[in-house]
Amino acid sequence: MDSGNAFGDLTQDYIAECLPLAEAVTDAFLQLERRWREGDAEADSVVELKRTLHTLKGNSAMMGLRPMQIVAHALEDVCARVVADVAARKPEIAALLIEGAGLLVDQIRGAAESPADPVRAEGFVARVAAALAVPTPGSRDVPPAPEPADRAGLRLERRRSERPADAAGGMIRVDFRRLDALLEIFGEAMIEQSALPEVYRRLAARCGSCPEIGELDRVVVALRATMKRLESALMDTRLLPIATVFARFNRLVRDLAQAERKQIRLVTEGGETLLDKAILDRIGEPLLHLLTNAVIHGVESAEERLRQGKPPEATLMLSAAALSDRVMVTVVDDGRGLDTERILAQARALDLDVGGGADAAHGLIFQPGLSTAESVSHVAGRGIGLAAAAAAIHALGGSIEVRSRPSRGVVFTLTLPLTLAILRSLIVEVDQERYAVPLSHVAETVRVEPNTVHAIDGRGVAMWRGSAINVADGGALLGTGATHSAPRNYFVVLFSGPRRRGLLVDRLVGHQDVVVKSLDPSLGRPDVVSGATILGDGRVACILDATGIVAQREVA
Amino acid sequence: MTTPARAARPSGANLFDFADQIAAQAQAAQSLAQATEPAVAQLQLIAFRLDAEEFGLPLATVREVIRVGDITRVPQAPEHIRGVTNLRGRILSVVEIRTRLGLNAAVPGPRSRIIVVEVQHRVVGLLVDSVSQVLKIGVDRVIPAPDEVRSEASDHISGVAHLDQRLIILLDLERMLFAPNRAVPSPS
Repeated sequence: MDSGNAFGDLTQDYIAECLPLAEAVTDAFLQLERRWREGDAEADSVVELKRTLHTLKGNSAMMGLRPMQIVAHALEDVCARVVADVAARKPEIAALLIEGAGLLVDQIRGAAESPADPVRAEGFVARVAAALAVPTPGSRDVPPAPEPADRAGLRLERRRSERPADAAGGMIRVDFRRLDALLEIFGEAMIEQSALPEVYRRLAARCGSCPEIGELDRVVVALRATMKRLESALMDTRLLPIATVFARFNRLVRDLAQAERKQIRLVTEGGETLLDKAILDRIGEPLLHLLTNAVIHGVESAEERLRQGKPPEATLMLSAAALSDRVMVTVVDDGRGLDTERILAQARALDLDVGGGADAAHGLIFQPGLSTAESVSHVAGRGIGLAAAAAAIHALGGSIEVRSRPSRGVVFTLTLPLTLAILRSLIVEVDQERYAVPLSHVAETVRVEPNTVHAIDGRGVAMWRGSAINVADGGALLGTGATHSAPRNYFVVLFSGPRRRGLLVDRLVGHQDVVVKSLDPSLGRPDVVSGATILGDGRVACILDATGIVAQREVA
Repeated sequence: MTTPARAARPSGANLFDFADQIAAQAQAAQSLAQATEPAVAQLQLIAFRLDAEEFGLPLATVREVIRVGDITRVPQAPEHIRGVTNLRGRILSVVEIRTRLGLNAAVPGPRSRIIVVEVQHRVVGLLVDSVSQVLKIGVDRVIPAPDEVRSEASDHISGVAHLDQRLIILLDLERMLFAPNRAVPSPS
């Protein structure tokens, strides 16, 4: 593990401590804006917010981060005015507070990479000064209180700001890389443990009647149960509430809505849902794509909404919920919905398969071809980011689906695995090669009887649950190079979103929880393989990418 | 100092002729220089064989040499990647260095080894027919391949070292591993 320099670690601490504070302040200001716009001049929370800003200012000063320091200071001034002067509680002032808090968030988030831009900070401070210099009409004119600038004061403030849980619950802060290292070791233990049943089986075959065999069996079973518990305990240490990702979207949606001159309210639900930090780190971008699309293309202008009898303010809902071993995240808008006809026209122009009704047609919006710059303005808008968002979700082993109703809105449903590290999988064998298939994408395994799979135009087709699906030969699809092999014994029905495809294999070896390892970039980017794992016998097996396989061009 | 005559452009298959050629050309100049030059810097190499030829890699890039275990083929991987193997719980890509040099794919035997190298912070394995030894060679014995003749298969050669009666072809790992995979004409 490389040990960053001392200052680097301090910066990380600073970010870890201050970013959530700045985000919380931003959210609180967003709520104030809403309330003030609705005529409720409440400002009780501002005193508390001012205190938080003071902490942010102190921490920034200690790190020598002047741009953050002066922005926080200016925000404190605005808060002081708001507390003292009811007339200042108006949307324009709230907008100023939101802008400053947003600037703080950006600066703090970027603190590790580049020095904060002093020009932006000073520009903001100048605007605050100008705004505060104009006494609001009917103002009782209370000048902002002077700040206690002594260091001791700052330190005290900092102590007080620590969440009570930190002290009471015995929290410690751990570098996430340590948890990754722990997981890596656990993975190796799991691989070693997975070799045991086979050794046991061979031993039992040789000396079946000796009493130690029964004992060994008990130990192997007990060890497996303990490893399961260890796995879930280890996973618990990596979980964070999804609210940490949701938090950054409030300001973003507001700013974007303003730029688009639309009225949009973002509602979040289920922020307490827990996910592996490694996944949280990678869903921000796709969610951002979906929200941006919804604001720019999904939601109508206030005037148009009024004409349609909708409330002028659109609602975007971002919610999360835990399923048994997955997490579902939905992005819902109440906008105009997807334009099915235009999508179909685009899809036909691109020679895509357009059969299967409106829902299947809507699924086409994730096709890269449909996200060309030109189509953004034509295909009811949904464009540029969707293919990328879908690819990012698939890369995580998740899935994304879309449903749309004309003038009612669009629902994106994302299903995510709880963790990236361990995969419940089905081990299959094709031409003596073993592959791990993620169980999350296996609909069923089917035994091949005579006349199960038919060759139509050189393509394999089978009836499955009442509909015809394409069945591809595993050897051909994976390029095993075996020339003549016996007929395959099984096909595995893989699914990803609404697509399905059968994959013919020789043998189903069994279920196994495998430790996911990534492939070296020298291997290129295979479509049909997402990673690799080490089996109990020490051999490496590739993990099949179900999404890539169902999307492959049909092979015989 | 005499300038060696410009070496002929090699065709893909006669890679070894080419190596002999530049070695021969520079040998005269070298023996001259040797008589006059004082002690020179030493280059540490690991030497290995592909067919009858000997190749060398800077020892500094080598992490370890391992026996060949099970190598798992990876679907859709580039042609010069033989597959992946388990290196103490890590997944190691194994490069089929032979096809990269225009030779037939390896048939691993008891003397085959995987040389684990680290290049540009990436760790990969090179499948070789056998590893002969670690050598120290004076840098003055290394004849760099002239730029103008670097092409086709010779693209992966950074020079030739002459040691007693042995000719050791030095490989340019960075080019071999990271250069775009150009079509190397294979012997028909």
